[in-house]
Amino acid sequence: MARYLIVRLGQALVIVVLVTIITFVILHLLPGGAARATLGKEATLEQLAAFDHEMGYDRPWIQQYVMYVRRLLHGDLGYSFQLNQSVTEAIGQRLPKTMALSLLSTLLAVVAAVPLGVVQATRRNRWPDYTITSLSLLAYATPIFFLGLMMIILFSQVWPILPPEAPQGFTLGEVLADPAGLVLPTVTLAVVTVAVYSRYVRSSMVDNLNENYVRTARSKGLSERRVVVLHTLRNGLFPVITLLGMYLPALFSGALVVESLFNFPGMGQLFWQAALKRDFPILLGVTLIISVATVLGALLADILYAAVDPRVRLRGSAS
Amino acid sequence: MSAPIDTAPHDDDVSGDGGEGRPLLRLRHLSTDIALRRGTVHALDDVNLEVRPGETLGIVGESGSGKTMTALSVMGLLPSGGSVVGGQILFEGRDLRSLPPDEVRRIRGVRMGMVFQDPLTSLNPTMRIGTQVAEPLRVHEGVGKAEARERAIEMLRRVGMPRADKIVDDYPHRLSGGMRQRAVIAMALICSPRLLIADEPTTALDVTTQRQILELIDDLREEFGMAVILVTHDLGVIAGRAERVAVMYAGRVVETAPTARLFRSPRHRYTEALMESLPESATRESGARERLYSIPGLPPDLSRPLNGCRFAPRCRFAAPECRTTEVTLSAGEHGYACLHPVTATTAAASVRTVAARPSAPEAASETGSETDSEAILSVRDLVKDYGATTGGLLRRTSGRVSAVAGVSFEVRPGETFGLVGESGCGKSTVGRLAVGLESPTGGRIVLDGTDIATLDRRERRRMRRQVQLMFQDSYAAMNPRMRVDAILAEPLEIQQVGDASARRARVTALLDQVGLSRRVLERYPHEFSGGQLQRLGLARALALRPRLIVGDEPVSALDVSIQAQVLNLMRDLQRELGLAYVFISHDLSVVDYMSDRIGVMYLGKLVEVGPAHDVVRAARHPYTQALIDAVPSADPGLAASRESVTIRGELPSALNPPTGCRFRTRCPIAEGICETEPPLAGDLHQVACHFPLRPESRTAAAPTG
Repeated sequence: MARYLIVRLGQALVIVVLVTIITFVILHLLPGGAARATLGKEATLEQLAAFDHEMGYDRPWIQQYVMYVRRLLHGDLGYSFQLNQSVTEAIGQRLPKTMALSLLSTLLAVVAAVPLGVVQATRRNRWPDYTITSLSLLAYATPIFFLGLMMIILFSQVWPILPPEAPQGFTLGEVLADPAGLVLPTVTLAVVTVAVYSRYVRSSMVDNLNENYVRTARSKGLSERRVVVLHTLRNGLFPVITLLGMYLPALFSGALVVESLFNFPGMGQLFWQAALKRDFPILLGVTLIISVATVLGALLADILYAAVDPRVRLRGSAS
Repeated sequence: MSAPIDTAPHDDDVSGDGGEGRPLLRLRHLSTDIALRRGTVHALDDVNLEVRPGETLGIVGESGSGKTMTALSVMGLLPSGGSVVGGQILFEGRDLRSLPPDEVRRIRGVRMGMVFQDPLTSLNPTMRIGTQVAEPLRVHEGVGKAEARERAIEMLRRVGMPRADKIVDDYPHRLSGGMRQRAVIAMALICSPRLLIADEPTTALDVTTQRQILELIDDLREEFGMAVILVTHDLGVIAGRAERVAVMYAGRVVETAPTARLFRSPRHRYTEALMESLPESATRESGARERLYSIPGLPPDLSRPLNGCRFAPRCRFAAPECRTTEVTLSAGEHGYACLHPVTATTAAASVRTVAARPSAPEAASETGSETDSEAILSVRDLVKDYGATTGGLLRRTSGRVSAVAGVSFEVRPGETFGLVGESGCGKSTVGRLAVGLESPTGGRIVLDGTDIATLDRRERRRMRRQVQLMFQDSYAAMNPRMRVDAILAEPLEIQQVGDASARRARVTALLDQVGLSRRVLERYPHEFSGGQLQRLGLARALALRPRLIVGDEPVSALDVSIQAQVLNLMRDLQRELGLAYVFISHDLSVVDYMSDRIGVMYLGKLVEVGPAHDVVRAARHPYTQALIDAVPSADPGLAASRESVTIRGELPSALNPPTGCRFRTRCPIAEGICETEPPLAGDLHQVACHFPLRPESRTAAAPTG
């Protein structure tokens, strides 16, 4: 198992390095340049050149990349002149809030999607299945900004029970202290996810309910409830593990649209604003975090698999 | 007993042991439909059966006959879309159809038990064995966790599970197929049911394991005093185990009788035809083989309305009235639904010899397998090891699986060489090596006088034309998106044989050869039945005019009557084209019928090679004998009288095969010397054993002439 983990981590590292190179190159190919973005329209050419020289932006980009990586190894993600703070600090402020929002919405999505999927699978091709399928497709097809706007109109204009804006607290504690403000962004994020997850749960449960072991369970005279919940559900939830693993990056990066819509001070907003202002250090920092999260998500899914599926566990422990 | 809403009149006293003569289970006019998207299949139509307490009823039939649907209807486990639409299921006097669902569930869990066909998939992969076995106790009898575990261990012991106290906490994937089937049986019996339904309980298992499981069910039946319904397609399995047999065809019971009587004098024409389709019925004591009787055509489509006897369209003796008159099962102990049943005189006329019996001497060897003709395929000391890997991505080689360990044999032109053995013995690997799908770790493969290893890529590719492969599952071996014409022309294109029109001509000629209509050219593989697919597979193998065809279990997935068609075709083509076959199968009777010579494999080694007749009837290796004895014979008398070599236990792992004779760990007569490897010794009938069961028989050893 340990060996397996080391190899997987090694692979992960290679992917992360590749991602940084690619992002780095793409960002430096963009027109405009960092100096103009930082110093503004008024800056003279001399000032721009001086800035580039000071930051090392006039050197060959391979050299720049090496410098970047060296700093990275010391935990230094760079300094954002736009925000006037270090990238580590900027991300550190927003990451917990984004994670809280994403976790809440994922939790909500899973809690809603599993029963929905199970209901669909056990009543396959009957009206509950058709109804939920239609609603899922509708939810999935609705643009998220439209959905968010409808939420705001419905629940804070027509029927004003919730604030239209997310809590603006500076720390995670302050944000969590205002749960009412979190409701709309969380639900908006969850709706789309529920649609996707419930489809996966449904098809996986349908497959499993047709398995021979389910027939064996029924032959023991078990109640349908016991057959579904005790025998089938665990096997049916394996695909959700993969989905959760794939969702991890979203947990770190935040949802651009929803965060902007509800003015939520999280990673998504940070990234969006940095992109507008060509704030390279921030963009690089966020990209790095997301790529690490992606790789970690896949790894985590594998480990989770091993934890819940004895067949996988065997292969792992044998080495 | 919980008190159900008692609508059934005055049957309270029957719920216990039941009256002596009263049947435990009685099916009256049972009809079951399965609704599919394209229509409704009438899977069962007016089925009448009864099972008495303590007896074994065998239900036999081919696929689609309704035998499994009968079992599933009783258990209330019909697949989605399936429902019982008419008749009664009287269990212990009460009609299960009129009882409330909760009561039926209880009966299913406590009073009945079921064992399924595929032990590999019938256990929950993520639940411990003990939990699964004890679950009925916990649910129906409210037994506590600790006690349930104890009783699970106890039950696992009774079904012969080694190390039951360890296995109880294991997950299913750690057990072999046979062991898993034992676990399923333990689960079915944990509440001491009155009725056990076993649906093809051994079809997925090897013969030696099959024998262990069938014997176990027999023993437990006596011990528990329960009735058993044994559902199978295998007449041999029924013959040895059941007291009464019901033969099903196209959703109906066509004949039912005490076992001995049914096998001695079947009355229904279908039963008769089925028995004649068995390879052993055409294999003579003298070694000659008659052409198999094969039932023409296919079973009827049960989604259409049917009139008259359902077997009439395929019956040799059908008269016009058979197609119009509804025939019901005649009354009495031996019931049959046939207007022109087999009578004593017609039975004598139709040759029916289920037990091998001497017959008029024919040409003993029809194919000239003289020793002087040069071998088309010669395999010398063939070795194939696979690196065993652990850890998924890591690929750390942790040992070597010895799949084939020094196998030598020859196949002469026009000869059939049969390879038998249980799963994992390496017979398929030998086949794959022979056709060049894999390259050997060691040894030589000489094809038509040329050592394959000495050829370069191009020559090797040309050489491949000589040897072609035929698969067990032809459907899986064909691209589902290619039409038949493309499938058959592909080998010709790859080998650049002829131009487009020549290839087209060749393709139609191939279809003629295998007896398929030319109209099938534009069809896709999924439009064919199993037997037709095997014909197509054979046609594709023949495309390049090979001299040798390696058939890897070519008829194992087919029903008996269809199997007979394919076997006949293979023999006809052999005679016409002078083909040689390597016929790989686990089914000894089929190999015996097809082969001139047989090689028996065990754990990667050939333990015995010789003329088919001698190997099967005068086996020299204890393993061969055990294999022969394990095959259930479709002759109740023979099955009962047989005294035999039985092997116990499980096949050792090929990862660490036993030293010396690989069979010695399970051999009843092994001694110290068996730790040294015995060479394959003998003249024509060779054996690799220090203590051969009998000397080489002189009649066989005598060369032709």
